[in-house]
Amino acid sequence: MDWIALTKKWLLIPSVSFLILLLAGCWDRVEINDLAIVVGIGLHKTDDDLIELSMQMVNPSSMISGQGGSGGQQGNGQLTTVEKAVGKTFYDARSKLQEKISRKLFSGQNRVVFISEKMAEKGIRKHIDFLARHPKPRLRSFVFVTKESPAEFFKVMPNLEASSAETARELASLKIGMSVEAKDLLQMTSDESDNAALPVLEIEEEPPNTYGLRVKGTAVFKNGKMAGQLDDSVTRGLLWIRNEIENASVTIKPEDAKNYISFNIFEENTQLIPSIKNGNWKMTVKINSVDDAVENETKLNLINPDTVNRLEKQLEKRINKRIRKALKLVQKDMQSDILGFGEAFHRHYPDKWAKVKDNWNEKFSEITVEIKSDVKIKRPGRSASPPAVPEDKVINE
Amino acid sequence: MIEKGKISTLQMAILIYPTIIATAILLVPAITGEQARQDMWMSPIWASAAGFLSAFIAIQLNKRFPEQTIIQYSETIAGKFLGKVIGFVFIFFLAHICGVILREYGEFVKGNFLDTTPMIVILGSIAFVCALAVRGGLEVIARSAQIFVPVVTVLFIFVLLLLSPELNPANMLPVFEKGLMPSLRGAVVPAGWYLEFFMISFLLPFLRDRKKAVKWSAVTVIAVLITMVITNMVTLFVFGSLTPKFTYPVMEAARYISIAEFIQHMESVVMAIWVGGIFVKISVFFYAAVLSTAQWLNLSDYRPLVFPIALIVTVLGHWSASNLQELEIFLSETFPFYSFIFLAVIPVILLLAAAIRGKRSNKSSN
Repeated sequence: MDWIALTKKWLLIPSVSFLILLLAGCWDRVEINDLAIVVGIGLHKTDDDLIELSMQMVNPSSMISGQGGSGGQQGNGQLTTVEKAVGKTFYDARSKLQEKISRKLFSGQNRVVFISEKMAEKGIRKHIDFLARHPKPRLRSFVFVTKESPAEFFKVMPNLEASSAETARELASLKIGMSVEAKDLLQMTSDESDNAALPVLEIEEEPPNTYGLRVKGTAVFKNGKMAGQLDDSVTRGLLWIRNEIENASVTIKPEDAKNYISFNIFEENTQLIPSIKNGNWKMTVKINSVDDAVENETKLNLINPDTVNRLEKQLEKRINKRIRKALKLVQKDMQSDILGFGEAFHRHYPDKWAKVKDNWNEKFSEITVEIKSDVKIKRPGRSASPPAVPEDKVINE
Repeated sequence: MIEKGKISTLQMAILIYPTIIATAILLVPAITGEQARQDMWMSPIWASAAGFLSAFIAIQLNKRFPEQTIIQYSETIAGKFLGKVIGFVFIFFLAHICGVILREYGEFVKGNFLDTTPMIVILGSIAFVCALAVRGGLEVIARSAQIFVPVVTVLFIFVLLLLSPELNPANMLPVFEKGLMPSLRGAVVPAGWYLEFFMISFLLPFLRDRKKAVKWSAVTVIAVLITMVITNMVTLFVFGSLTPKFTYPVMEAARYISIAEFIQHMESVVMAIWVGGIFVKISVFFYAAVLSTAQWLNLSDYRPLVFPIALIVTVLGHWSASNLQELEIFLSETFPFYSFIFLAVIPVILLLAAAIRGKRSNKSSN
């Protein structure tokens, strides 16, 4: 029966070819021009306790024209759009927002999450759940607290980046202030000591045209509610303790000099060493940093080891002062452990930690802190003695 | 013999490794982390005892009945009637577990990637592919595993390497915060997975070089052990106390990868790992179910059974749980005892009975 085999063979070819149609995966494809790509999510509370959600979306068509017109953006074709909607929960508001938008919202590329101060004060815990539940948002989005409604921030058209969400993300990755990813925020709020800190974002306005965002200080959360804010200089102290200093410069005025010297910190390491002796809880903050001089307004010759020694001592004092200032505010006034002390005690003294963890914030405020900073100035920079000062006026002691 | 093919011990190892690992890295880190917290990396070490135990039992039984599977020798040991009962229950167990594995795969794919595709399509398509492999025989399954497993392993190592900048080993501290108990309790569920090593009893009769079986079984248990410890460590180092809160911690970790803002969105790699691994896992269980049925019915060929049983298994998968929560409760609370009874208690009783009654297979009975 040869013809059966033959028919089989001929039937096989069309049925296999049919499979090709399925294999291409066009079954449930989504075209990019059917999507509204969300790059920023903003959460805000209305006066009647509802959520006002704002989203910044990139406009794919202007992205394309931007790429095509090899000279970059001209500023007329708007790159991003901002929409907002009010709802009972995040997702409720999102559905309402979807009603206004002709394309499907896609938050898989989300860069930042802005939380307004107003919402932060009322508590963020219940509102950040979607970050780890909805399948699309990424745990890598950076989270900020914004002074006003996030929609205002999304409307800002920055000069250097394509969108304000992108600006915020770049600011966070530069680590000027705190930089907190969604993962870190969830870790902080789910941790036993239950305190969190987020960077605060502000609109930088310089009329008539410069317009941008800046990180300004830190918002401190206690039990999921914003308890206060730290300004920029205190934030620096906080970063020193948290071992998050990355790009920093320190400027000091040497003793008996009228002018300043600036140093660039390029290596920094902070260790938290907890100890409990006779019921006395103590935390040793050990800081090692390596600095280079980048600017010298004085007449001091930075190649002189004695001068360098004195400057090192002074830098250490300066850093200690910063940290003390941050400690006073965070430890004594706010009594909120955003420094990672609880974590350190938990890891080294699990038994003793278990006894105090329920009122950790009170215990936290009683901890004695010792700061041991060690600054090394390794190099004077490109010039040894001040290049703009005549040789006989250089101080060489 | 129904199965004409022969495989090598290395092929057996390659078949069994993904049979344990494929789903063990899916839900287990979260379930273990729930109990063991920061000691979760230790749990697979304790649990591996179960792996050595069930491999030992399978090999001991095989020494007595070299050419037979549990369905056949249970008749010799326990008598015709009781043996058939054990065989029937065992077939049902295999089919049900096969359905549950299908469902785990389906839940994962539907929950993370194909959220609008009907569950039955996801289950049916993988069941169909596995059925084709099983119809091809043991050698075909073994060879496809030989192709998939190296790729899957390399991809998995790749994902772990990409995660290395995010690791924070301090998340491991304090070790033994509440003593040994949490990590032991966390070991219960992985132990259920290790018990699946008993599946080698369906492969041992078809080995070409059976003498090496002990060595390669031990190597496989250790390979599984290392993989599970590393997986748990990596998720713990990335997420710390957050780990047990995720449904699929490894998936979240892969999503979290971002190297130079260029290498990111790695979840499709995780998907590839799981589809490859789970194909082998389902094929092994499905093969065992089909072969057992054929042996139980004294058929001369198992191939006519493949597609009917594939249908049954798919439906069992569809019915095995009404949602992911039920599936997770089943896996974390029922499954360890369920598999303990079938993959440890019954074989141990059979082995003891065979030893006491001095039963061995007589060479001529095949």
